[in-house]
Amino acid sequence: MYPNLTPYLVGLVGLALAGTLVISLRHGVLRRLALRQIARRRGEAALVVIGSVLGTAIIVGSLVVGDTFNSSIERQATAALGPVDEVVVAPPAQGGEVARRLAPLRSDPEVDGLLVLTGGEAAVGKGDGAGRKAEPRAGVFEVDFAQAAAFGGAADRGSGLGGPGPRSGEIVINSDLASVMDARAGDVLTVWLYGQPTDLRVVRVVPAEGVAAAGAVERRRHGFVAPGTLAEAARKARAARPAPAATPGSGGLGARDPAAERLAPQTFVFVSNTGGVKGGNSRSDAVAAKIEAALGPLAAKGKDAPADQGAADQPGAIVDKPKQEALREAEEVGNELGSLFLFIGSFAIIAGVLLLVNIFVMLAEERKPELGMLRAVGMRRGRLVRAFIIEGAVYALVASLVGVLVGLGVGRAVVIVAARIFETFSEEEGGFNLFFSFTPTSMVNGFGLGFLISFLTVALTSIRISRLNVIAAIRDLAGEGGRRLKRRWVVLSTLAAAGLGAWALLAVSQSRGVETYLLPTLTALALCPLLLRLAPRRWVYTGVSLAVLGWGLAANTVRPHVFDDGSTATFVVLGSVLVFSAVVLVSQNQELLTRPLRPLVARPSLAGLATRLGVAYPVARRFRTGAILIMYGLVVFTLVLLTVLGNVISSSVGEAVADASGGFAIRADFNPSGPVTDPSTAFTSGRFAGKVAAVAPLTAANARITGLGRLGALDAAAVGVTDAILDGGLFPLDERMAGLGDDRAAWRKVLADPRYVIADRFLGDQGAGPSSIDYHPGDTLTLTDPRGGTAERKTIAGTLRSGQAFYDLARGNGPVILSQRAVAAQFGSDAELSSALVAPAAGTSDEALAADLQGEYLPASLVTTQIRRQVELDFAANRSFFQLMEGFLALGLAVGIAGLGVVMVRAVRERRRTIGVLRALGFQSGTVQRSFLIESSFVALEGIVLGTVLSVVTSYLLFKNDPELQASGIGFPVPWTSIAVLVAATAVASLLATLWPARRAAATKPAVALRIAD
Amino acid sequence: MNLKRRRAQAEPTPATAARTDGTPPALLVAEGVRKVYRTGEIEVEALSGLDLTVRQGELVAVMGPSGSGKTTLLNCLSGLDGIDAGRVLLNGRDLFAMSDAARTSHRATSMGFVFQAFNLIPVFTAAENVELPLLLGGIGARQARRRAVEMLERVGLGHRTGHRPNELSGGEQQRVTVARALASSPAIVWADEPTGNLDTATADQVVELLHELNRRDGQTIVLVTHDLAIGASAGRLIRMRDGRLVGDELRQPAWAVR
Repeated sequence: MYPNLTPYLVGLVGLALAGTLVISLRHGVLRRLALRQIARRRGEAALVVIGSVLGTAIIVGSLVVGDTFNSSIERQATAALGPVDEVVVAPPAQGGEVARRLAPLRSDPEVDGLLVLTGGEAAVGKGDGAGRKAEPRAGVFEVDFAQAAAFGGAADRGSGLGGPGPRSGEIVINSDLASVMDARAGDVLTVWLYGQPTDLRVVRVVPAEGVAAAGAVERRRHGFVAPGTLAEAARKARAARPAPAATPGSGGLGARDPAAERLAPQTFVFVSNTGGVKGGNSRSDAVAAKIEAALGPLAAKGKDAPADQGAADQPGAIVDKPKQEALREAEEVGNELGSLFLFIGSFAIIAGVLLLVNIFVMLAEERKPELGMLRAVGMRRGRLVRAFIIEGAVYALVASLVGVLVGLGVGRAVVIVAARIFETFSEEEGGFNLFFSFTPTSMVNGFGLGFLISFLTVALTSIRISRLNVIAAIRDLAGEGGRRLKRRWVVLSTLAAAGLGAWALLAVSQSRGVETYLLPTLTALALCPLLLRLAPRRWVYTGVSLAVLGWGLAANTVRPHVFDDGSTATFVVLGSVLVFSAVVLVSQNQELLTRPLRPLVARPSLAGLATRLGVAYPVARRFRTGAILIMYGLVVFTLVLLTVLGNVISSSVGEAVADASGGFAIRADFNPSGPVTDPSTAFTSGRFAGKVAAVAPLTAANARITGLGRLGALDAAAVGVTDAILDGGLFPLDERMAGLGDDRAAWRKVLADPRYVIADRFLGDQGAGPSSIDYHPGDTLTLTDPRGGTAERKTIAGTLRSGQAFYDLARGNGPVILSQRAVAAQFGSDAELSSALVAPAAGTSDEALAADLQGEYLPASLVTTQIRRQVELDFAANRSFFQLMEGFLALGLAVGIAGLGVVMVRAVRERRRTIGVLRALGFQSGTVQRSFLIESSFVALEGIVLGTVLSVVTSYLLFKNDPELQASGIGFPVPWTSIAVLVAATAVASLLATLWPARRAAATKPAVALRIAD
Repeated sequence: MNLKRRRAQAEPTPATAARTDGTPPALLVAEGVRKVYRTGEIEVEALSGLDLTVRQGELVAVMGPSGSGKTTLLNCLSGLDGIDAGRVLLNGRDLFAMSDAARTSHRATSMGFVFQAFNLIPVFTAAENVELPLLLGGIGARQARRRAVEMLERVGLGHRTGHRPNELSGGEQQRVTVARALASSPAIVWADEPTGNLDTATADQVVELLHELNRRDGQTIVLVTHDLAIGASAGRLIRMRDGRLVGDELRQPAWAVR
């Protein structure tokens, strides 16, 4: 992932290593000092490496997840398409001419094959009764098998179709269709070609790859029949068809009979580019341009072409680039998911950085006397830093290399869990399998990022360490602490605060996500040196942290659009700002916060003394405790936030179903070659009488939208509805035009007046979040029929809360809904009665009705979608995905817990003398152990409570500031049980992680501890 | 476990009771104490079958060159370190016949320690450091604090009770250590080079404090020192070399002074 980052990362890593190498070569004494420190203190070196490994591992794990998604989608796309790079779909009347015009391309150097197929969609059935198998929408094609075998040359895995072609009465099916139909060679399938049943015997099952997946990624179930089969079936269907007449249900679309026109096979021309299955994709734009040039006026107009060009009433041939589209989608999905995991992982990475800082500072603390000696004998501060940099570079290098390997394991684990989630999609959406995969680019990027984070952390920490008081260091006394900052720094920081403040005001006024949180925080920090001149340190830090915390919590209320840019970075900054400020606040006021513990610590018992000691250390060691608190706080904050938000989303499933279905639980899609002409009657009579409460026919046409806000030209579905749309219930609106009393009034306006439309909320949304949507009810748009060229200005009466029931009715973006009369008037015969929304009667189950409808209208290739089930499936997938992210973030928790364990190991070593004294004074070994356990539990619990409280408050404020969630009436459902389990598990794990160091402390022999220390 | 019960264990036994001639009873008796340090295959005999008796109210100085076994003697006699042979009786009770827990409790109620490096608990204030052995001895928090403040006043630090060790000078820290060692009125105080980290004037103050406690309260003190003047000022001077006692001078018995 992110190949554009690689050169920069490689460059920076190279610079860091080269710099370190130069220092090492020029200063042998520094090199010896650094390397011998590592060799001398192997245990400590191992701790630093472990701290750094986790950060790299999380980064690499995230990138591997992205790689896996990218590669899996790409693999699926390339396998399904094989050598097919472009697909030209020609309407029946133009098929022959299109094929003739494209034939010369065979000799083009960028094209290595052309394959002409004819075909269409048909229902396929096998058997009857309970064992009946059916596929309402299979692709049925005629193709020259010899040409198909040679198509695309011998590149890669061949064309995917070969061998002898089927004879009359036979069919070759691909493995996907065979799987659904449970069919094998010799079985007889009934194929409803243009509604006419034809029995065909399966002669062979071919893989669903290359040509046998017939050029489409979404629909992958296909069969191949003998030449002439389709024409014969079409002829029979036309003969059997009654004279065309307008039906009330279809809205009366005029004299032309589009359904009759479709009773003929379409022509598909597959084009294979030179360069193999993957390499050919790079020529796709050039070859598509050549195809369009060759087609001339027969090409369907692109969305950028003026509407008045082209032959009116001629549908035109469409040029698709399915492989390019699939590969682009693969890359986008891979990047999105990789970024998502990187975002979630970033909290764990910050925790890892803090762990590293903590370990390194503790390491330096222990070495303080020798560092003081080095300074005393004349080693300059800079050289001390350089010695640390050499040491740090070695740690960073080893840790990053190990981290890459561990990251692969982390990524593998996430992929295993993710694969289980995506298996649920596979049944519903045509199959999606995850194949663990990683690229060298991701490994290099992960290594580079991990190395640089560790290296910079160590380098910056070294600068802090090097600022020691020589005498205090030699005598191992506490540092001076809180040195007064020089006047020029105070002036500079105050000026910086003024500049940052001005910038912050601008950012906040524009509701810019990251800056709204970050800049006021930086302004407050920059003011600290000045404030420290005016007030005591504790007051200043308490005041500043309170102000930052307050702003972090209140910003979303003050600026409600702060999250509109959809940037995950805003959440990372918000979480960091809240946790850092809360930890500073707590650290500065620990004495106050631990006051309630006084009765406990004052008890003259061993438990009381253990508690006193256990609390005293974290309270006194502010920096160390603060770093651990941030580690815990950040991770717990995010985990709880994910848990709460996941729960809020899950709780709104009922609301989402109501929004998506508008009272209609089922959508029935017809095969355009054999539509149900009057669904209102058909679905409410006969065996369906009493089972259906309402039917709303949907007429759809491909449309183009222009002149809508900042959006350019968009392909969209123009959907015509009748008054019946209000029979099942109501599709609620997100917003409606001023002056319309309620949502129903807005719908009535659209049904009555062809100048008004109801638009999808997310027209033109490219995933950039709500801020990319800048249209509202009352705005106008130009709706154009791309074939006929008719353009009309429409006013948006309302925007749908959910457009799910109207998606995929035509090519392009979401729906623009008009009255059926308005669609018929503008789009004429290009508007098809393509679907109907069905509301089951009380007592009829969605599932049973959907199955009945599909079974009854199998010959018409009717496909039903259960909207409720679809929404529930989406929510279930969402829930699983939240759980996956929580699992991934639990790695961060592991960092925090391991960090606490590491810090306690260091603390035991550091406090050997104190342990010896305590034992000499009469502390039992068990009391020493208990005091260490109390200490770790105190810090862990403080971090957990801090993260949990901040998270619940933040999620409540997010909930409160979201008008949709507020309107949903679901309250603010906090999953206390899940949170309690999370808190308890974290606390127990923390306790277990510190058990070993606590035992070591207890086992310390007093005389040995005192002897070694002295 | 309430520590009040443990105080009873430290009561004198008939075996160590005062003799009729006015000589104080033996507080500590060490018989044939042997201590060997092992590093890999190398063995170093730090104490070689050492016998020693310390009577109540004595101020015993232990001197000898580096490596002679002074600190080891102190560690072994106080039960901080184990021994390889012999026995050590404090108030008639064999320290090494006790479990580690019992020995630790015994230490809490019967012994005080002053170390060269002060060894105060860095996260506790002076008063909290001093009250620690009192709380370990089962004394209530309020009473312990009162006694700790008294002890700090007695060593001239009544104004520094709320300061942490890093806020005190070396001399002040050592005086806090002395206050801590004496707070629970232990039977014996062990002092290992108590003036080693102090300047001369401060060292004199600390030594004078120990002498005063010994003279006035009859506090038994065993101190290890390199300082000839301190050794000379002690009532009894023991000299060590190579893990053996090579001299034992009783110069001025404490009971004779009082």
